[in-house]
Formats: sequence, C-alpha cells, structure tokens
Amino acid sequence: MVTFISTTKTNYSVKLYKFTPEALLQTYMPVEQIDSETLLSGLLKEIPDRIEKIREKRDAFLTDAVLLGEIPSPTYAEDNRIRAVLDRFRENGLDNPTIDEFGNASAQLPGSDGQSSILVMAHADSVFSPEVRHEIQVGSDSITGPGIADNALGLAAMISLPRILKDLGIQLRDNLTLVANAKSLGRANLEGANGFLETMSLPARAGICVEGSTLGRLSYSGLGTLRGEITLQVPSDYDWKRFGAAGAISHLTSLVNQIREIAIPKEPKTKLVFGGLKCGSSYNTSPRQGSLRFEITSEGDEIIGQMENNLNDICEQFSAETGTQVNMEVVAKRQNCGIAFTHPLVKTTRSIMQEAGITPQVDPSTGDLNALILGGLPAVTLGLTTAENLREVNETVHLDPLYAGMAQLVTLIQAIDQGICEE
Amino acid sequence: MSMNQETWLERNTFHHGAFWDLIKLVEEKEKKGLKISLCIPTLNEEKTIGKEVLILRSELMERYPLVDEFAVIDSGSEDKTLEVASNYGADVYLASDILQEVGNKRGKGENLWKAIHQLKGDIICYVDADISNIHPRFVYGLVAPLIQRDEITYVKAFYDRPLNYSSGLRPSGGGRVTEILTRPLFSLFYPELSQIIQPLSGEYAARREVLEKIPFPIGYGVETSHLLDLYELYGLETFAQTDLDRRVHRNQTTNALGKMSFGILQTFFNRLHAQGKLDQMPDLETFYRRFEVEDGNYRQLVQEVVEEERPPMIEIEGYRNRETSS
Repeated sequence: MVTFISTTKTNYSVKLYKFTPEALLQTYMPVEQIDSETLLSGLLKEIPDRIEKIREKRDAFLTDAVLLGEIPSPTYAEDNRIRAVLDRFRENGLDNPTIDEFGNASAQLPGSDGQSSILVMAHADSVFSPEVRHEIQVGSDSITGPGIADNALGLAAMISLPRILKDLGIQLRDNLTLVANAKSLGRANLEGANGFLETMSLPARAGICVEGSTLGRLSYSGLGTLRGEITLQVPSDYDWKRFGAAGAISHLTSLVNQIREIAIPKEPKTKLVFGGLKCGSSYNTSPRQGSLRFEITSEGDEIIGQMENNLNDICEQFSAETGTQVNMEVVAKRQNCGIAFTHPLVKTTRSIMQEAGITPQVDPSTGDLNALILGGLPAVTLGLTTAENLREVNETVHLDPLYAGMAQLVTLIQAIDQGICEE
Repeated sequence: MSMNQETWLERNTFHHGAFWDLIKLVEEKEKKGLKISLCIPTLNEEKTIGKEVLILRSELMERYPLVDEFAVIDSGSEDKTLEVASNYGADVYLASDILQEVGNKRGKGENLWKAIHQLKGDIICYVDADISNIHPRFVYGLVAPLIQRDEITYVKAFYDRPLNYSSGLRPSGGGRVTEILTRPLFSLFYPELSQIIQPLSGEYAARREVLEKIPFPIGYGVETSHLLDLYELYGLETFAQTDLDRRVHRNQTTNALGKMSFGILQTFFNRLHAQGKLDQMPDLETFYRRFEVEDGNYRQLVQEVVEEERPPMIEIEGYRNRETSS
C-alpha cells in the first residue's frame, strides 16, 4: 500500500506554509486571524505554478482516464468501473474504501483536523452501451474515445486528487471525501448521488461535482427538470374503419402537435425538448405502438407542475378521442435549487477561474449537483477541459487546457478547506 | 517424455492474476538486485504507441518501480510515433543509430537485437506496439516468473481468443499462422515445444544472459528462432509462459500471413539443417498436439494423425490384371 499522508501535523503552521512560505518565516500569526481576502490572494498567486506542476504530474490522471474509460459503464451496469475505482482508492492508501448499497464507490483522505469533510464527486456512468468498442487513443495533445470527456476524465481527476495534493505539498485540514457515483444519467435520476447524500455520516462543508468537460463550466444551481416518456398503443380490437383511424405514427405526430400547443412562459424561463421518438420498423405496415421522450426544464417549479398536469390531460383526452391507449411515465423529476451567485463558494470559484485564465460560463445543472444542493450542501460543478464530439464514439478531450482545469479544482478544494467559501 | 517434461505445462504455465501484488514483486526484484528494461519495437505506430507508453510508464515506473528503463526502438517511422512516444516519457532510439559499425538492417528483429546492446537491464521485456487494450499485466505477467524463479530464463505470453468463448471452451489461442504452420511443424519435429501455447506471440521477457547468446533473424522468424535455439541450448525447463487474457490487435491479411509463414519456414529449416534433422531425418511424429484451456487449466490434446499411404495403382497386381484382361 502506498500511504500518501503519513503524519498529521499541527494545523496552523502547516496551513500557513501552504500559501505563503515567507509569512511563516516572518510571523507566526495563526490562520484564523488572516481574513479571507488575504488567504484567497495567497492561493491565487500560486495558480500559475500549480498549473505547471500538474502538467508535469499529468500521468497521475491521464492513465486512469484511459484505463477507466476502457471499462464499459452504462447507467445501471457500472459495477466493473466502480470496482476499478475502489482498487485505486485502496492503492492510494485512502481510508474506508467502500462500495455502498447504491453502487457508489467512496473513500476518504484524512485531514489533519478531520472534523468535517469536503465532498468531491464524479459520476461513473456513461451513455455508451457495452457493445460500443471502448477503445481509447492517446495522441500528443488529445485523447479520444467514447465517454472520455463524460466522464472518464472527471472520474480520473477525482481519483488522482490525493496524489496531486501530495505532489503539491498540500495537507488539508478537512477530510477529503471522494465519491464515484453510479446511476446518475437519464432514467437513473441521480439515484446514486441521492443515496450517498442520504447515508453520508461525516458532515460536509461543501461539495464539488467534477465533469471532464467543459472548461469554464460553473454550475451552482440545479434546474427544475421533468423527464418523461409517453407510450401510445393501438389496441388489438381497434376499429380501423372508424373516422380518423390511423397507425401509431400518425397518432404520435398528432399528439406532438397538441403538446406543442401548450403555452410555454418566457418567465420563469422554461423549455420543452422532444428528445426521442420510436415507432415502426418497416415501409408498409402501420405500427401499433410507439413512444415519445421529452424533457421539461424550468426555473419555476410551479410551471413544471402545471405542464405535467397539461400533459396528463392531453394524453387522457387523446386516448379517449382516438381509442388508443396513451400512458405518460415520469422517469425523472427534480426541483429547482441553488446557491446564490454571490455565495462565497461561487465568488471564490470565479476568482480562481479568472486567475487560471478560465472564462466562467454559468450554466444551471440538471445533474448530480442537484442532489448535493438539495441535500443541503453548498456545491458547484466544474469542467476540466475543452472537448469535441461529445457523446459520440470519437469524443475527444484536449490536454493543454486540462492543467488549468485541474489547478482550479485543487485551488478550490484548498479555499474550501481554509474556510474562505463559507457564508 | 520423462516425468519432468510431462508436468512442465503445469509447473511453468502461469496466469497474470497470480502476480497482481506489484509491491511484493518490486520488493523481490530489488532484493535480487535485478534491473528490468522494457522495449517496444516500432514502425509507424502513432495510433497505439501513446497509450502504451502512458499506461506502462505511469503504472510500472512511477506508481510501482518495476521497470527501470523504458525504450522505444524505431525502424524509421514516417508518422508521429517517435514524437508521441517521447512526449509520454519513453527513451526513443532509431535502430540505425545503435551499433552503427555493424550497419543497419530493417526489421523488427533488428530492433530487438540492438536493444540488447542499448539497454542496461538484466531482464529485457519486449512488447509489440500494436496492442489496443494495453494494460500493465502485459509486462508484469512476463517479468514476474523471471523475478521469482531463478531457473526460468525466457517467458512467452499467450492469450485467449474471445471469439469461441461462448462454447465455454477456449481453444489454444494461436493465430492463424500458429495453428496452420507452427504447431503442426513443432508436433512433427519438436513435440515438446508444442506445449508452448502461443509460440509466435510478440510479447516475451528474457534474461540478458540468454538473449546475448543466440542469433536474431531480423524479420518474421525471430520468435521461432528464439524457441528453437534456446530449446537446443537449455531445454524446455528454462521456458515459462503466462496467460495474459485478451489481446486486441489489428487483423492481418492472408497475404501478409503467407509472407510471414515463408519467413518462419526459412528460419525453421535453417535450424533443422544445422541440427542435422534434415540430413538424417528422424521418424516423423504422428501425434498432433494442441491445447484447450478450461477453468484456468491448460490441457494438451494429443491426436494421432497417421497419413497412411497407398502405393501407385500400377503396382497392384489386380489392377495390372484388369488392364491385360480388357
């Protein structure tokens, strides 16, 4: 076993040494007496140096991104990738490497104080089925393969944190809780992250969700979301001679048109997306069944509720009028949540990004961040690098911007650890 | 075959899973004072070389210091092979720059041979550059038997063939040339060597003290010649083989395999000739030997294939009588 943090040093001298070595020599002023601004500016000053050091140590996360990315990990079948993550936690000498009842792998890097923890989470599932050849290619300045950006790279970055912190000479006061959460995407409805939050024992100070892409991403709110699937079935005793009789394709298109009549407000901002339509398999046979997938996102929870009612009414009426069976199933539902733009966690993140040369792009999340914030944690989602061909088999991440992306993550963890990100 | 040879298969066949504890392996290596060099011979491998160097170097040099030296020896690639390999931290050499006084020949065997001169290790592990599912096991699975067992000097890799996996049985794991050419030849002339499940695999590790004593064909025959020459010098006991599970690599055309077979046959007959097996041909074996792997056990299947022959019809009395009577 490799143990990275062998001893626990006294808090204040270690804390101080981390950001201003000169200050340690000149004064022995304890950390608490230094205001947040001074602490932060000390951290920001180190960012250019951190980027270079992380660039030198890139093998620590690139290797895992490739090895983990080559293990297929579709939502609900993440076991193999999760076990590989657990092995890494063990090899890195972390405390309590565990796979919980929800299928998440987690472990702790003990802090010098250990009274609370910082949660860093990366989802382990991917949108690619095991039939897709999970082969990753490594070039000089990019890595390509299915799911490398979403989220093999995020996962590898999270796993590498203990090694990176050690290489940078950083000893945290808080425990660092690392989580590879299963069952995040699509129908899974954040099951893994929610389960972890519900059963987490140690109080966490804040949380960070890590995504491979895109650099500059800053999410601090979760968008209210409803995902659903409408299935339409033409019954076996359907009267094909009745007025308006039609197959499932015609019915579903009429249904789509009716749904599009629903008034969508400008404020609060709301969006309806049709994401999938499955129906029929031939040229000349009217299909008897089909399904339609959609997502509603809105900044107003009440709007989502109203639209859900509207959709139910439309389905019911459509069913009665056409003699077909129409069912709507809600597969995922999340309420709006978030912390303020002015929350110290968000403010600090923006300062760090700026110093690292990253332009923040505020983007509400529909992912794991919702679980953290609804679980009562101030949290943000960060992206690590730029990417192309997202969710295609030739998904590609660029290596050059990645080191700034990692430096922002490490610096934010330090800032949280030093209490800069609290209200 | 003697008792000893009967059980070679059991005693000297490993699965990489037995060597998962790399910390222990590194300790044993250090205790014995061994240095290990890893060599990847290349020619235009930019698609796969980056991943091989990244993964093998970071796992087996940075994380677990099993490998002391990591070299890519190139035959003059025209793509970005050298740039990518050096970017991820390999020592990069052109075969033509090594031992310039002996001149330059172009072929994989040349790079393997010159590696003996260029690299410092007591053990040299060779890994082909075209493995798309590279994993540290491709190296530690091969060097571990050399670290743990002093009498072993040469370790070959073998793999499974996932195509036939659904039947529950894995066939012997050779490629087409192995099954059609090498295994029948070994069954005829070197039946003991037919226990080597994948004689042509490009991944093997060996001690310097044996590598420096044998000639190296520069082309396709290098793997075959190693087996025949070391067998002649030291016998089967110094060989071992390790199951590395699945290996994914590019498929070769039948034409390319024909060319490869031609090279192997040259190497093979040169040895037969040198060992007097051609001039004084022994009675040919009639047992065809192949392998089955089931639940981690390796079983040799021996099948008698006797090619009985009939004389020319003209020599048969009944036939001749038929001719005269008609």
